[in-house]
Formats: sequence, C-alpha cells, structure tokens
Amino acid sequence: MLLQNMLDFLPILLRGAWVTVEVTFYAFILSSLLGLALALLKMSHWRALALTAASVINIIRGLPIIVQLFYIYFVLPEFGLQLSAFQAGVIGLGIAYSAYQAENFRAGIEAVDPGQIEAAQSIGMRNPMILRRVVLPQAFRIALPPYGNTLVMMLKDSSLVSTITVLEMTRAGQMIASSTFQNMTVYTMVAILYLLLSLPLVFVVRRLEIRSGKGRTK
Amino acid sequence: MIEVKQIHKSFGQHEVLKGVSLQVAQGEVVCLIGPSGSGKSTVLRCINGLETYDRGDILIDAQRVDVRSPSIHQLRTRVGMVFQRFNLFPHRSVIENVIEGPIYVNRIAPEVARKAAMVLLDKVGLAQRCDAYPSQLSGGQQQRVAIARALAMQPQAILFDEPTSALDPELVGEVLAVMRTLAAEGMTMIVVTHEMGFAREVADRVCFLHDGAILEEGSASMVLGTPQHGRTKDFLRRVLGPQAGASTSSILTP
Repeated sequence: MLLQNMLDFLPILLRGAWVTVEVTFYAFILSSLLGLALALLKMSHWRALALTAASVINIIRGLPIIVQLFYIYFVLPEFGLQLSAFQAGVIGLGIAYSAYQAENFRAGIEAVDPGQIEAAQSIGMRNPMILRRVVLPQAFRIALPPYGNTLVMMLKDSSLVSTITVLEMTRAGQMIASSTFQNMTVYTMVAILYLLLSLPLVFVVRRLEIRSGKGRTK
Repeated sequence: MIEVKQIHKSFGQHEVLKGVSLQVAQGEVVCLIGPSGSGKSTVLRCINGLETYDRGDILIDAQRVDVRSPSIHQLRTRVGMVFQRFNLFPHRSVIENVIEGPIYVNRIAPEVARKAAMVLLDKVGLAQRCDAYPSQLSGGQQQRVAIARALAMQPQAILFDEPTSALDPELVGEVLAVMRTLAAEGMTMIVVTHEMGFAREVADRVCFLHDGAILEEGSASMVLGTPQHGRTKDFLRRVLGPQAGASTSSILTP
C-alpha cells in the first residue's frame, strides 16, 4: 500500500524536481550575470555608478525573496508587464540572488593582488583585457567556493517560487499531500529528493574549497 | 632616451618627489639608490605611467608619459618593468606568462611568440621549467621569468624596482647575473636597488635620492667611492655596514 502510493507519487514529484532544476539553473545564470555587473559597477571609479549599484544591492538584500517574487508576479502586471509564473520565478530569484553574487564577485576581485594589475599594465594591456585575462580568472578561483555555496542555497530557495504557482517539486508535493492526506510519505519523499539534488553539490563545493585552500598555500 | 624633467608628486599632504630630473641615454645603466621613502620607486613608477605626477615632464623618445593619454599603453610596451614582488600571473604557466604580452597586446602569432619566448627563457636559464607554474618556482626563478616576460615585449628600456629585495640572500646572485648580461648587451636600464656591489660593477651612473630629490649623481666610483654629500656618506655607511664605515672607498677595491 505504502509502496504503491510512493510509486504513484514519484513521477509527479520527479516532474516537479525537473522544474526545480530548471528554475535553479536559469536563475543562477541570471543572478551570476547581474551579480557580476553589479560588482563591477560598485567598484567603478564613477561615484554615481558605484553609489547606485550599492543602493540596488542593499535594497535587494533588504527585501524578503517572497516579497520580490510577489511583486514581480502580482504587481508588475498592473504596469502592463505580464510574466508567466515560471518567468517571474526565474527573474525574481535571479534578481534576489544577484546581490549575494555581487558581493561574492566583489570579494573575489578585491582579493586579487594589485601588483597583478600593474604587471598587466606594464606589458601594455588595456583595462578590459586586464579584467578578462588577469583579474577575473583569479577572482573566479577565489570566489568559486562561495559561488558553489550560493548554488546550493539557490536550489533550496527555489522552493519559494511555489508561492507564485510554479509547479516545482515543493508545490507538486503540496498538491499531492492536500488531495491524499499522505503528508508524511509525500514530504519525506520531497525531502529525500532535495537531498539527492543538493548533497552532490555540497560535496563538489567541499572539494573546491579544499583545492583552493591548497592553491593559496602553494 | 628617457628624460625626467623636474617632476613633483604628492600623496595628499606629503610631497614625495620635489623636482627630480634624470636623463638616461640609450644603452645606459642608471642605478637609483637611497633610503626607503626617498622616492626612488615612485620615480620609476612614474616613468612607466603606473603612477601619475603632478608637475614636470617625463619624455620617452620625446613622447610625454601621460597616464590619461590614449598612447600610454603603447608607450608602456616600449619600457618594461620588473617588480620587487615579481607579480607573475599565478594562473598561467611560465611560458604563458612570457607570451601573454606578445600574443594579446602585440598580436604576434602564437607559434612565433612561443619560439621567441623559449629563446628568452633559455637566456634566463629556465627553458626546462617552461611548463611549471609560478608557485612551483623559487623567488629567484620567478624573478628571472619576470625579466623574460619584460624582454618578450622587446622594450627599449627596462625599469627594475628593487628586483632582489624580496629574495632570500642565496637567490640574489642568479637574478643579478641575468641583469648583468642584459647590461652587457646594451639594454637601457634604470635600477632601483640596495645592491651596492651591482651598482658599482654595472652602473654607468648612480643617483642618490634623499627626501624626494636627487642629492648626488655621477659615476659609481664617484658616488659610492668618494661621496660629497653628508647624507650620501651616512646612507652608504649604513647599507655597507660598520666594516666599510671607515673608508667607503674600500668597497671599490675589495
């Protein structure tokens, strides 16, 4: 009986899990791009740009993710911007996480030795090339462990988009539970599936941390 | 070839350069000596446009060094720089460090750049370590790679900013040996250094800086052997140690 239930629920939950992965994937890419842009703007020599970026980061960090999602999904349509639940979820999560990504990237970039920039300048490199060939590759290595942690956190926080009706794994579980009352079975399965997704990532991040630790002492 | 005319520079309230002038001809080796904080490194960094200056002019082949000018990048390729802390790119191998400039700045074909880089690495005695990463090399080896990286741009002059100060004593010799070879080949060099032996042996001219100005300038035997200025004598006594204190000329005839 229990086994039969589980077998019935599994395909629905797996379909939800796939949506969870999709939301996380796209939102992660979006947050990385936005985060890098915000980090670079915040470090700009132009005061106005740096201040704007810093304010944007603070506003995003100061708002609950759910409120940001509600705003994008329920409020923006009143201004004529109608997004699907999936789109709103990806964009909301991406924006919400861009602030954390920006801080990760900024910390990484600032950890690069200024002597590296001088060495690049001394062989005649221009700023965009210095950024691309010298600073970012080193900053990325430094920022890789926190970057991986952000991915793990994002995978879990993608469950928040269930609140704006995206049918990802948590919402799929909720719907099965509310129609079958098999709360324990359903949510245990959901929890295990989340672990199966996140634990491999946790281990990869751990490996990255060990490796980058070694790199520093070498 | 390099002409520094009355440059002034302040960091906030503190004036670090108070009208420094210096002329370096093609093929000349000039050593800048002086106590720390005297402005020697700042002069060097101004020449390569790594630092701005407030007043005066720096000319390289009659072209003014101006950090804000669009030609600064092109100018920097003509004057190489070797740093105290090497500043090799840690994420690139030895050969990649050397070919970075030729390939990405000068747009030279990778195979050509690679061949030229191997010749340079051979010259600094590190051809067999071309695939190593900087972290796997000793300080002396890293500095030799840094010299090869500067040479790869085929500069008309190289600036050395205390190239041996970050090295363990036993590694200083190998770096100075490479620099000696360059000097013998006629490379124009400005060297900020505390290695008085090197200055005496290699420099065509030695300038003693104190408190942002050149106090004394002349041939190595003059400045190091028979210093005129009290500050210069003081400084030499301190860097050469008490045994040379009685007669600074003793370093010229060891």
